[in-house]
Amino acid sequence: MEKKYGKNFSIVGLIVLLFLGPLILESYYLHLAIMVFIYVMVASSLRTLYISGQLSLGHAAFMAIGAYTSAILARSLHWTPWCTIPMGGLASAAVAIGIGFPFSRLRAIYFSMASLFFGIMVESSAGLAPSLTGGFTGLHGIPRLFIFTRQPYYYFFLVLTLLVLLVLYRIEHSRIGMTFKGVSQSYLAASSRGINEGGIRILASAIGSFFAGIAGASYAHYAGFIAPPQFGVMTSILLVVYLIAGGKGHFAGPIIGTVILYLTPYVMGGFQGYAPFFQAGVLIAVIFLMPEGMISLPGQIASWLRVIRKGRRVSFDAS
Amino acid sequence: MLLETVGLTKHFGGLAAVHKVDMSIEQGQIVGLIGPNGAGKTTLINLISGFMRPTRGRIIFDGKDVTGRKPHLLSRMGMGRTFQITPLFGEFTTFKNLVASFYLSADRSLWGSIFNTPGYRKKEKDILNKVEENIELVGLGKVRDELAKNLPHGYQKVLDLAAALAISPKLLLLDEPIGGMSREEMDLALKAIKRVHANGTTILLVEHNVSIVMGLCDRIIVINYGEKIAEGTSDEIRQNEEVIRAYFGRGYAN
Repeated sequence: MEKKYGKNFSIVGLIVLLFLGPLILESYYLHLAIMVFIYVMVASSLRTLYISGQLSLGHAAFMAIGAYTSAILARSLHWTPWCTIPMGGLASAAVAIGIGFPFSRLRAIYFSMASLFFGIMVESSAGLAPSLTGGFTGLHGIPRLFIFTRQPYYYFFLVLTLLVLLVLYRIEHSRIGMTFKGVSQSYLAASSRGINEGGIRILASAIGSFFAGIAGASYAHYAGFIAPPQFGVMTSILLVVYLIAGGKGHFAGPIIGTVILYLTPYVMGGFQGYAPFFQAGVLIAVIFLMPEGMISLPGQIASWLRVIRKGRRVSFDAS
Repeated sequence: MLLETVGLTKHFGGLAAVHKVDMSIEQGQIVGLIGPNGAGKTTLINLISGFMRPTRGRIIFDGKDVTGRKPHLLSRMGMGRTFQITPLFGEFTTFKNLVASFYLSADRSLWGSIFNTPGYRKKEKDILNKVEENIELVGLGKVRDELAKNLPHGYQKVLDLAAALAISPKLLLLDEPIGGMSREEMDLALKAIKRVHANGTTILLVEHNVSIVMGLCDRIIVINYGEKIAEGTSDEIRQNEEVIRAYFGRGYAN
């Protein structure tokens, strides 16, 4: 019980620190923080699909659908972004439900393959109809949410991210979350307990895609410019890397994975070009040394220390 | 009549795994389905529970024609089943496995999940009470906090049985509920089955162990090569020449 209070306490402390951030951080770091917030939302929404047994390799496509829907509506019809961002999320969810009918019949690797091709398809089709989408060179002049500095954006994304995480957390730890996990662990058991396997997969996919769409849409109105490659296969794969390296078995896994792996290229200074090698190295190290992800690092270090201190045999007995 | 099949047939390519089976189960009965290896017993269970679509024939459950309905819809109507290979949540304890199964069959609303409404919390409490009741009913109290994957085979099967009770089944289909068990595990499983039956659940069970079935069931159906060859009480079955021939070969029938 005490431990749990400690955990809650540190989460509250972290949130307070995050709210104080703009007082000490320069504008450039605020930008990095905003990007981290966006990818934390998307990687966490990817986890909602993952726990229902769907490892999507095209999740960035749902960012794209949200971003383009919201950007085009705001740009062409001059609607306020406050209104078009939720519509971007709904558009993503609608597409997820639409493709869910065929996709939810696929399990495991077959779903991943189908989602990969869906991601490629969305990336390519964002290049079509240049008058509307701006083609492959991208869409300029998207109305902004705030005109002035980055500080309001920082608070907007901080609050949005906290809200999204809270909702995703509540869903995962509810009876609905249990059905997601049940379907992925044993579809036989689930369907003999009255669970519509396909329906639950579609629901998980719609929820995850909705929040990816929200994140993508709010990014569009922050950056003012979007282009297809930003939401391409590479982004989708990085999201999976964030999820797995961070720890796919824990709610905080994708959050930690995103924070560490997204920021590494920026702290590497002159070696930034080597960042992909570093990220690949981290992923391999995680898979071999800590299959539960970086989130299990404290526990792992403790057990390694035990091995060093007491010798291998003792710790072997303990495990 | 709780369950009735009319001319139920399933072909795999040219092979008739189940051929024109007519059978019926009345409310409150416990019926055994026996037959030699490969006779089509599991296929029959899969057809009734909706995991396979019949090639021909009809299934009437609880007064409705349910031929070709999906398994989740059937289980919402009160058709429960267990599996030969038990599909458990291995990383959960016994207790949590049952909680999960009850969660799966409970109603869920997205609204209630996100905002933790009073109705949602009340349901939560009901579920936990029911799980405790079920653990006691099937006699799994002493392995309540063991991980399912560490349980002995027999206990896993009993756990699967307890989990199948989550939908409050009217009819429970048990696919080899005591297959491959030790003596002690068998006692546990049989006691659990008897208690579940005494609570008013109608049961159809598939089993290899003929003597156990004879002792347990009101009525026995024998199938061989996908066809029903006999039906009746255990005494009638014991004397049926067709059955003796199917199990022991032609020479033993007089």
